[in-house]
Amino acid sequence: MGALIQLRGLVKVYTRGGETLRVLDGLDLDLEAGGFYALMGPSGSGKTTLLNLVGGLDRADEGRIVVDGEDIAAMTGPELAEWRAEKVGFVFQGFNLIPVLTAQENVELPLLLTRLSRGQRKEHAKSALELVGLGDRRSHRPSQLSGGQEQRVAIARALVSDPMLVLADEPTGDLDRKSADDVLALLRLLNEKYGKTILMVTHDHAAAQQARTIVHLDKGGRLGRIEAVR
Amino acid sequence: MPPFQLVWRNLTKRKARFLLTAGSLAIAIFLLCLLRSLVVALEAGVKAAAADRLIVQSKVSLFVYLPQAYGTKIAAVEGVERVMRWNWFGGYYQDQGNFFAQFACDQDELQAIYPEIQLVDGSWDDFQRDRQACIVGEATASKYGFKVGDSVPIIGALFPKTDGTTWDFRVAGIYKSTKKNVDDATLFFHYKYLENALDSGEGSGPAGVGIFVVKMSPGADRTEVMSRIDAMFEQGPQVVQTTTEAEFQAQFVSMIGNVPLFVSSIGGGVMVAILLAALNTMLMAAREQTRDIGVLKALGFGDGVVAGVLLWQSLALCAFGGGAGILLAASTEDSVARMLGTVFPGYEVTAGTLWSAAGATLLVGLVAGVGPALRARGLSVIDALRRTG
Amino acid sequence: MALVPLSYNLRSLVVRRSATLLTVLGIGATVAVLAGVLALQQGFATLFVENGRDDVVVFLRQGSTNEGDSVFSLERAQILMKTLPDIERPIDGPPLVSAEMYLAVRREKVGGGETNVPIRGVQQGTFRILGDDIRVVEGRAFAPGTDEVVVGSKLADRIADCRVGDTLVLNTTPFRVVGMFDHPGPFKSEIWGDRDRLAEALERPVFNRVIAKLKDGVDLGELKERMESDPQVPCKVMTEREYLGSQTTAFSFVLRVLGAFLAAIMGVAAVFTATNTMLAALAARTNEIGILLSLGFKPWAIFASFLFESLVLGLLGGIVGCLMALPLNGVDTGAMNFQTFTEVAFAFRVTPQVMVVAVCFSLALGLLGGALPALRAASLRPTQALRRD
Repeated sequence: MGALIQLRGLVKVYTRGGETLRVLDGLDLDLEAGGFYALMGPSGSGKTTLLNLVGGLDRADEGRIVVDGEDIAAMTGPELAEWRAEKVGFVFQGFNLIPVLTAQENVELPLLLTRLSRGQRKEHAKSALELVGLGDRRSHRPSQLSGGQEQRVAIARALVSDPMLVLADEPTGDLDRKSADDVLALLRLLNEKYGKTILMVTHDHAAAQQARTIVHLDKGGRLGRIEAVR
Repeated sequence: MPPFQLVWRNLTKRKARFLLTAGSLAIAIFLLCLLRSLVVALEAGVKAAAADRLIVQSKVSLFVYLPQAYGTKIAAVEGVERVMRWNWFGGYYQDQGNFFAQFACDQDELQAIYPEIQLVDGSWDDFQRDRQACIVGEATASKYGFKVGDSVPIIGALFPKTDGTTWDFRVAGIYKSTKKNVDDATLFFHYKYLENALDSGEGSGPAGVGIFVVKMSPGADRTEVMSRIDAMFEQGPQVVQTTTEAEFQAQFVSMIGNVPLFVSSIGGGVMVAILLAALNTMLMAAREQTRDIGVLKALGFGDGVVAGVLLWQSLALCAFGGGAGILLAASTEDSVARMLGTVFPGYEVTAGTLWSAAGATLLVGLVAGVGPALRARGLSVIDALRRTG
Repeated sequence: MALVPLSYNLRSLVVRRSATLLTVLGIGATVAVLAGVLALQQGFATLFVENGRDDVVVFLRQGSTNEGDSVFSLERAQILMKTLPDIERPIDGPPLVSAEMYLAVRREKVGGGETNVPIRGVQQGTFRILGDDIRVVEGRAFAPGTDEVVVGSKLADRIADCRVGDTLVLNTTPFRVVGMFDHPGPFKSEIWGDRDRLAEALERPVFNRVIAKLKDGVDLGELKERMESDPQVPCKVMTEREYLGSQTTAFSFVLRVLGAFLAAIMGVAAVFTATNTMLAALAARTNEIGILLSLGFKPWAIFASFLFESLVLGLLGGIVGCLMALPLNGVDTGAMNFQTFTEVAFAFRVTPQVMVVAVCFSLALGLLGGALPALRAASLRPTQALRRD
């Protein structure tokens, strides 16, 4: 039984204004199922790039990304889309809710990719919103919610189709302390109660302390030390 | 299942923009329907022409008159059942701007040769018995308030009265036409009345018959009859050209000029203008939705599905605007027809016109939407999410 | 008196390239259609009006509006020609007066279909009066008293049997085309021949008009009045220029109305597009406006700035539209002169006048399109504007 996520020889190169940057330079990493990982490192260390690659949002230039036995680096675009819908939930720094949809509709969105009926979709979304404590804000649009509330809706969206992996990119970056704590508590809930594997990019040390393992990346995209938190 | 609710929500997010674009689409589509209806009206007369009627006219010119004697000769031709003399009178009622057609014709033949002319008021007997009687089309009668029994004074332009007075006709009947080849705006009076006036010197103007209208016997061979009549007058004094009623009406249409070309060029210009308007709006909308596109793709919606959402937005916008334009064209049919009145009778918004308008709308929707849709399809998730919209 | 720098607006237009381009094209298409219709009208009108002569006088029958209607009997025409004292009668030659016959004759077009071509039967006096205006460019002039004709230069390529050497059959008589002539005005769309021979062939023993050169110092106004009530030959008198001018009124009017109508409808679509573009620009630059306001620029300066930007859009659209319409200049076309029912060949004329109207129109479109967004921009409060992301 190998690790849930196995990265081997991962290389990602960016060309910008004539210059090439090796953001990830032959990275090897194993991430276990049920883990709660915080990815930290200075800017330019490729932590967001790594997150995007694991989530199938970006393509590696070299290397393998094996998730639950499948090498997603070898998948085509449409295959990756299907894979993402089934296996991954995203939480972004900027929340990224669709402004013209209500909270309920935003959370239902991933369910349109499943075979659930309309009634079933509504039920699932409702439960997810209640889980994050926003059951009474179902019909509000994002512009009518506070930052913290928006992020919680995003978390509800991330878990509504029951993915195995939740990827969070600086989830507390735009939030005040109180909201940030709420969000991190929810992530811990997802991990400890629902068994989801969480990978969180952050530069906030306090937030990183909520995870169980911190993975440090050095500038130049090389693996630094891995420290256990709890 | 694609997120269809996004289509409408995104369109109506910015109400002013949506209404402005839909509004300009509606107006342009309405204009296209109007133009096409005018062309259809011009051709309608030709299409509805009777198959058993022929027109005998001078081969040389519309303005050359044929000798009276031709009448009896034509009547004797095999295959000819009835013949009628028919002169364009070319006068006007009170003011030169009040235009409607007047014709002098053989009153005892009119009803038989033109069964399309149905009286809705008055009687044929009355018309035929009174030399100074006339029948007037419904549209003209209601426009100027002519009723049975009224006297209508017409100022002769082509046939002036020698003493400068008006030609007065008593309305013996008001007619309605059952087909499009005869309009509801004409005034018919006795040929003999004109003939007598010219002979006595009471009126002056060209002598002779403008055209002869022929009704063929049932079963007669049209081409044969036409060539027989033409052959009879080959040596003159006036060479004739016998045509079917359809050809006769078509010649007037083609003389107006290259109407289809003119209308098509204008229509083309209009289409370009609304296409640009729609494209402008769709591109603006697409740019604003860049981040949303990224979100959808991140969630796992395929490139094609996301592109589809943008294409549907364009189609929905055009359906809304074009639909409004089509409704406008259909509902203003009567008012426009009334406005064109007796100058351009026969205006009608046919189902064909409305369908081609729908087709044009669809085309604009597709062309305006394909660019943004393709762009959305090719957008990488990372790039899309990075934009602040 | 601080105005927002103009370069700011110009740069903004460049940055939002696609929206600017689409709006300019939209306005351009509208302007091009308007310019096209106006160029058609100008081409038609200038052909007639510019080339009418002030020193040649036309006599028409009282009550007629054009030479098609006007009919003089031979007797009356002779009386007029022989006895009118105002006609110039040089000592060393025949009097400068001529009677003409005019008939719109049906001829086949080169590409198929029929049209009406004017045939003018002239006396030799016509050539003496018109002098160098009539130039024979191919072949020779017809010999008086023979069955020969000359054709106007515009006819050779458009009408069948109109090349030098061809034979035209009029009624039953063949006429040989012996030459081609040019004339700066509408005569180059006509066929000319000997009046007596044509009258006989067409069985038309009448004149349609009389033209003459008057003695020096004749008061035209007085002559007009005198001839209106002349007991023997009452007629209408006008200079050739006035006559040609009167022939264009109906068609020019129709074209102008058509042009205005199209411009209005397409203009609405163009205005909507401009408004959309400016509203989007406003939405994208709300932050910048907030900065400008906080720096101390007054709201009206913001208003003027936005209005200036949309005026630039209008101006660019106008220029593009004119450029699109320019290739039409000099392009040959034909149209039906409704008044005489004859086809006239002329060329599109994109005159400076047309372009000025077009550009003014496009500026108006820009102004209308930018008014609402400029107002909105000017009513933003700094805190509002800066708060927006």
